[in-house]
Amino acid sequence: MRISTVLSIPKGAASILLRYYNWSVSKVHDEWFANEEKVRKAVGFLEKPVIEYPNVKELTCGICFEAYPRDKIHSAACGHPFCNTCWAGYISTAINDGPGCLMLRCPDPSCAAAVGQDMIRELSSNEDYEKYCRYFIRSYVEDNRKTKWCPYPGCDYAVDFVVGSGSYDVTCRCAYSFCWNCTEEAHRPVDCGTVAKWILKNSAESENMNWILANSKPCPKCKRPIEKNQGCMHITCTPPCKFEFCWLCLGAWSDHGERTGGFYACNRYETAKQEGVYDEAEKRREMAKNSLERYTHYYERWATNQSSRAKALVDLQQMQSVHLEKLSDIQCQPESQLKFITEAWLQIVECRRVLKWTYAYGYYLPEYEHAKRQFFEYLQGEAESGLERLHQCAEKELQVYLNAEGQSKDFNGFRTKLAGLTSVTRNYFENLVRALENGLSDVDSHGACSRTASAKSVGGTSSKGKAGRSKLTTSRSSSSSRNIDDTGHWSCEHCTVANVRSATICHVCQQRR
Amino acid sequence: MANSNLPRRIIKETQRLLSEPAPGISASPSEDNMRYFNVMILGPTQSPYEGGVFKLELFLPEEYPMAAPKVRFLTKIYHPNIDKLGRICLDILKDKWSPALQIRTVLLSIQALLSAPNPDDPLSENIAKHWKSNEAEAVETAKEWTRLYASGA
Repeated sequence: MRISTVLSIPKGAASILLRYYNWSVSKVHDEWFANEEKVRKAVGFLEKPVIEYPNVKELTCGICFEAYPRDKIHSAACGHPFCNTCWAGYISTAINDGPGCLMLRCPDPSCAAAVGQDMIRELSSNEDYEKYCRYFIRSYVEDNRKTKWCPYPGCDYAVDFVVGSGSYDVTCRCAYSFCWNCTEEAHRPVDCGTVAKWILKNSAESENMNWILANSKPCPKCKRPIEKNQGCMHITCTPPCKFEFCWLCLGAWSDHGERTGGFYACNRYETAKQEGVYDEAEKRREMAKNSLERYTHYYERWATNQSSRAKALVDLQQMQSVHLEKLSDIQCQPESQLKFITEAWLQIVECRRVLKWTYAYGYYLPEYEHAKRQFFEYLQGEAESGLERLHQCAEKELQVYLNAEGQSKDFNGFRTKLAGLTSVTRNYFENLVRALENGLSDVDSHGACSRTASAKSVGGTSSKGKAGRSKLTTSRSSSSSRNIDDTGHWSCEHCTVANVRSATICHVCQQRR
Repeated sequence: MANSNLPRRIIKETQRLLSEPAPGISASPSEDNMRYFNVMILGPTQSPYEGGVFKLELFLPEEYPMAAPKVRFLTKIYHPNIDKLGRICLDILKDKWSPALQIRTVLLSIQALLSAPNPDDPLSENIAKHWKSNEAEAVETAKEWTRLYASGA
């Protein structure tokens, strides 16, 4: 260990020091060189024994009070003598008391001498020592600001954080990606705060309340919420209330009859509604219903991408464990030449993750930011369809080659296409993440249109602009001449990939220019 | 019986407690259980407990000396670190226990606690409050209790 050489102390002592200063090497250096005396005192390193017995053959154990020959007696650096059996008992008790055993001191109550790992290994049972080591590793991971346990259920790995990597997303060796900052799963482009809000919202009862508010009316007598899912307007509340009332005007049914419009309508309600009596309660219900529908919209899509990602992960594993080998046999290709398929699937998994979080992003994008919302929805729509194209290709089209009897001659074409789609989609999503992380700031400065035109891979033109996005579609068509960039390439309208000027057919998706 | 297999350490401690008792402290094992001690501590001079004789019980659990002995006041006492069941708030009886401590050191610590009550780390909230708000009055109550319950009569 570096510390042990720099400070000229034994390894065991170095680990005690590191443990004491939460595994920060620089902190150990600072403190040690600032005031070695103080550090030694704090962690219990003695420079010389407190007591010495130079010429004695037998020593008395300070715990069991028995006399033992010297070889049956051990001491920490202080020299307080205890027999091996008592040491074992002392160490075992400390280890079973918890992680405090990592800072074990001499049993003598007035002595602070540290008991290090070497002594513990020598004097304790295997079982206890194993437990000690577990505490030791746990401390290394949990007390260290640069390491964390992988939060994936059942994963035993710890993850080191490399400072200055520019992003909080880290990936464990088990392939699980999570956010270093909040330890939720990786959630770029959405920030930690939004993720926390979203997760809380998904689990909170508040949505249930909203639903009840929107879809039920309280019984006019007992105030319990009632949902009307079918039948006529004559409602009878459940026992013990049993109040009979009209669903429309919430008046007692005894006041109703043919005269007021029968079972299916209520004249009193219609009249009152015209006079504006029901407005407020109605409006509240309407609003709650709208907000619930809005949330459901985003949640459903978030959840769909979540499960789609899980499915893609399973497919990827299946691909790696079974299909690739089979494909390599059928198409007479070495497996190393099939890496593009794995890459495509990894990209799909990553894109599903990003796409999923864009729905949380969309939910929290304020209604009044019309331009941003429009732009966002456009980008999201494009991302969605781009990913669909890739997913389709990696799933369905690949199937053909997997089921083929023998080598297919257009397999190389398929390779080019899938690899192309993978890289196009990767670029698109990288730009999307960046744009969303910037809070779609381009919208503020230039308005929605200039962005789509200048950022080739983000905006990439599409032939299927939808009605609600008319503003964007028009502005894009006006700038379509820009589809040829400075280097003389043109980008494909369908898959956004760049093609050389001379080509008339996109080299990736084979669509005409 | 509980007394067979009594560790040598307990036997030695017991012998030493009986042969060279600490001043103001006596501890003798029960006849039918050598792990159970009847203890008497004299109230320290210049403390509100002066003149009192306080009875305690002390028990050495199976894990002793790896675990601390269990000690409790039997005599009623007005003290911020001792509750009405006689339980004592003392660090060496809890997390600061060390197997190198002994019955003798524990009892000496309890004796010292009588000389120096610590109302900042109370076991008995009311008494501690009393001690902090009006020490003179609290000390009077402690003296009164000593007269009433620990006069040795």
